Amino acid sequence: MTAVIPAATVPRRAWKNTSLGRFFRNPRSVAGAGLLLLFVLLALLAPVLTPYNPNSLQFDAFMGFSAQHPLGTTALGQDIFSQFVYGARLTLLVGSAAGLIATFLSVTFGLAAAYFGGRVDEAINTLINVFLVLPGLPLIIVAAAFIRGGGVWPVILVIGLTGWAFGARVLRSQALALRERDFIAAATVAGEGPIRIIFVEMLPNMAGLIAANFFGAALYAVLSEAGLSFIGVGDVSLVTWGTMLYWAQAKGALLQGAWWWVALPGLSIALLGTSFALLNFAVDEISNPKLGGGRLKMPRRTVSAAGPAPVAGDALLAINDLNVGYVTPTGTVRAVRDVTLEVQPGELLGLAGESGCGKSTLAFAATRLLDPPGAVLGGSVRLAEHDLLALSPEELRQVRWKEFSIVFQASMSVLNPVLKIREQVYDAMQAHGVTDKAKLDARARELFDLVGIQTSYLDAYPHQLSGGMKQRVVIAIALALEPKLIVMDEPTTALDVVVQRQILQEINDVRRRLGISIIFITHDLSLLVEMSDRVAIMYAGEVVEQAPAHQLYAHPAHPYTQQLMNSFPPMTGPRTRRSGIPGKPPPLSAEIVGCPFFERCTKRMPGVCDVKPLQTFPVAEHQTAACFLYDPTVSPALKGNAIRESQINAGQSNAGQISAGQISAGQISAGEVSREPARNAKLN
Amino acid sequence: MSQPVTPSSTEVQSPPSSAPNTLEIVNLRKVFGTRGKAGGVVAVNDVSFAIARGEVLGLVGESGSGKSTIARLIAHLYTPTAGEIRLGGQPVPNRLGGAALRKFRKHVQMIFQDPYASLNPLHPVRYTLSRPLKIHGLARGNTDAQVGSLLERVGLSPAATYIAKRPFELSGGQRQRVGIARALAASPELILADEPTSALDVSIRLDVMNLMLDLKDQEGLSMLFITHDLAGARYMSDRVAVLYAGTLVEIGPAVEVIDRPQHPYTQLLKSAAPKPDAGLVPEEIEARGEVPDLKTLPPGCPFEPRCPHAMPECKDGLPKMYDVGGGHTARCILHDPAIRARKQGLVGV
Repeated sequence: MTAVIPAATVPRRAWKNTSLGRFFRNPRSVAGAGLLLLFVLLALLAPVLTPYNPNSLQFDAFMGFSAQHPLGTTALGQDIFSQFVYGARLTLLVGSAAGLIATFLSVTFGLAAAYFGGRVDEAINTLINVFLVLPGLPLIIVAAAFIRGGGVWPVILVIGLTGWAFGARVLRSQALALRERDFIAAATVAGEGPIRIIFVEMLPNMAGLIAANFFGAALYAVLSEAGLSFIGVGDVSLVTWGTMLYWAQAKGALLQGAWWWVALPGLSIALLGTSFALLNFAVDEISNPKLGGGRLKMPRRTVSAAGPAPVAGDALLAINDLNVGYVTPTGTVRAVRDVTLEVQPGELLGLAGESGCGKSTLAFAATRLLDPPGAVLGGSVRLAEHDLLALSPEELRQVRWKEFSIVFQASMSVLNPVLKIREQVYDAMQAHGVTDKAKLDARARELFDLVGIQTSYLDAYPHQLSGGMKQRVVIAIALALEPKLIVMDEPTTALDVVVQRQILQEINDVRRRLGISIIFITHDLSLLVEMSDRVAIMYAGEVVEQAPAHQLYAHPAHPYTQQLMNSFPPMTGPRTRRSGIPGKPPPLSAEIVGCPFFERCTKRMPGVCDVKPLQTFPVAEHQTAACFLYDPTVSPALKGNAIRESQINAGQSNAGQISAGQISAGQISAGEVSREPARNAKLN
Repeated sequence: MSQPVTPSSTEVQSPPSSAPNTLEIVNLRKVFGTRGKAGGVVAVNDVSFAIARGEVLGLVGESGSGKSTIARLIAHLYTPTAGEIRLGGQPVPNRLGGAALRKFRKHVQMIFQDPYASLNPLHPVRYTLSRPLKIHGLARGNTDAQVGSLLERVGLSPAATYIAKRPFELSGGQRQRVGIARALAASPELILADEPTSALDVSIRLDVMNLMLDLKDQEGLSMLFITHDLAGARYMSDRVAVLYAGTLVEIGPAVEVIDRPQHPYTQLLKSAAPKPDAGLVPEEIEARGEVPDLKTLPPGCPFEPRCPHAMPECKDGLPKMYDVGGGHTARCILHDPAIRARKQGLVGV
């Protein structure tokens, strides 16, 4: 059977989220494009704006402002305003044409080097390096001096041919990164040839960078042209803003008081340069949204007047009604919804859920590590006597490492590559006042023994350690000040199965010996059931079930937990078809009415589950589930119907769903059909 | 290093069948980063196996064991350093180009691990799926109908909902289904699936695996299913091959290999995997060290430095594959009759 995939509910991307939409909302791009448009209009409308030929020498020298000559005349008797508007034409032509030539060369060389690799890459790279090492302006001056007086195109060619190297270097490295992407390998396997791979698969993905590169090159060209003309190596018979500067300088404009003859082209060059630079930044920002600036207004946490609720019993960590969201321009994504959780001293709490269910966000928020756009919207977190969410940064610094510490999935990359392991192990201890060298050394050795690394590695650098050893070092650092709680977010996911098992064994030994509590977060439920004391299952930002591990394993209560447990192929027993959970979690940007699992649930009760506000109900001792099957106010007949229907469906599809609310995992096979006979028949 | 191209009969493990195998690889070897000089990384070390028509071979190993490299060698994304690949009994030249390469690609397709990386973010589903049809001359006029039926075959229905979508509009599971549809488009005989489910959420993994099993059953496809998850390999595969440090250490019927592993490394892998169904007490494993650096492999059995059964003979060259019965072989001298006799009663492998 194939899964029923519900018709996609993804809304079409709103216009304002397209690249073009973002372009028009980005202040830099709007300012840059506006300026550029102004200059382009000026250049295009030159014959309309002025009746004079910019080269005609028919007027008196150094005339002042007048109606006829709004900006007066030059020392040679030319109209300055008409020089300015006609000069815009050539200046823009130089900028765009040289920019295009340089960009074309950058793209060609960069892509060729990256795609063909080997000797082609080496040759092109050498060429790039030569051009990068040659000082740009002197090279242009020398080249331009040889072809003086040949009109505007030699200038354009010289600038274009000397200005491509930096862009080629940038494009080459991006193309190299793209070439390693799987979709390029996929296109190759599909049978695409090199031309199509370069131009249809790779090039469009580099459009943003190429556009940014063009504006950068155009900026360089405009400035180079101005510089060349100003020192007189360009063709000074042309009218550009650069040659205007040259003549103004040569004829002593400032001495004659005609400052605007210098100021107008100078300022315009600066403004045109600014517009190209703004466009360059904007395109870069749009094609790479991570660079996006723009502060969003962060909501404040709502705290009930009574302060954090007192915790029943003697829980070490108490999370109460915690709400966490990510503030985005299109609204708030509520990633953690009304989560209440407790961790007892010495307990290992497993937190399981699929990607995007909010388990990491919960851990980040509870340990005050959440960065904007994430924000705690409400609720409280209490660790021993500390109200964690209310601590000042200084108080937090004192509590962190000493009272609790954190180990992340990517924490191996947290180790500083240029510092010896020893210094990094000392770091947290020194920050908390341990300064005696002998004590530090003794403690570091003790920690390494604890997590199973030879103490000789204290004087190694991180790159000399394998991934598993680095993760052990990070765990040793987390243990350094004997915190009461360690939060571990997928600490072994990036490691191999065998190393993962070794580290888990060590974690388990250490926490039993030291009596520390651990929150262990992973998507691997089968692993969690083995090692946790208690397990909490998260779905769509809610904790949907909590139970002691053996209880959760033997009698999963929530239909999601039941289906999740059935989603792991077994390692033993007959091989049978099982089914996953069709569908996908609801988007967390929307308000969810009723149960978030309703759409995918096989035991749903329409009229109840999709209507009533979600509540958590006790199921057994120490076991709770956010499921209306355990709501005492819902009629037993309705529940019975839902369970019966799911059994019938399971029977019809041979899908092997767990068929009742409370059955043990050993009974699952009732609804399953072996596929062995079919396979055997096929072999013969 | 010169390699005999002709296989010795003990090295090629064929399933019991007389028809030509869809795929045979013989002493396949890949050395990275040498440019003809000595001292490179031996990523794949003389690996031989065969896949029969309609069979799924599970290839199991940890990261760096060379399993993805093998898939990419077979797919002609990498060029083998030595060895031979045969398709339908016919040797495939190690250097292929132009029309011959295109023809080869029609027969061998690949499914990638990360569906977020394997679809070009700019191309709609229609483009991605129509290209293989056009490249291999299978397109009939407007390809929308053909693309639509491909989408229906991988469970993306109604197809009209998906055909114009770009990857960012699809969920991970839907993207992987598009990836599978792309592999099916050219009607290949062999699909190389490189960890196709490990980037997916647990709840949708099984559905994607079931889809691949259904397609295999319906279309008689042969499949190389690469995974690091023994349970997944057991669920998907007819036979399982276990790879360690670029070397094939064990191969046999899936249930045999995983229920009764005969190589100490496979035994270690099995004991390290979480098995909540086997009881709640995790098995304590006994293993030293980690996967060795491929640049400095020991001369003998690559697993010897970590093996609980290691003995002096293990360092005397790479052990051969020992037949342990039922088409099941393991590369461990514990199965050597002489050593068995000597260690009788000591090792219960």
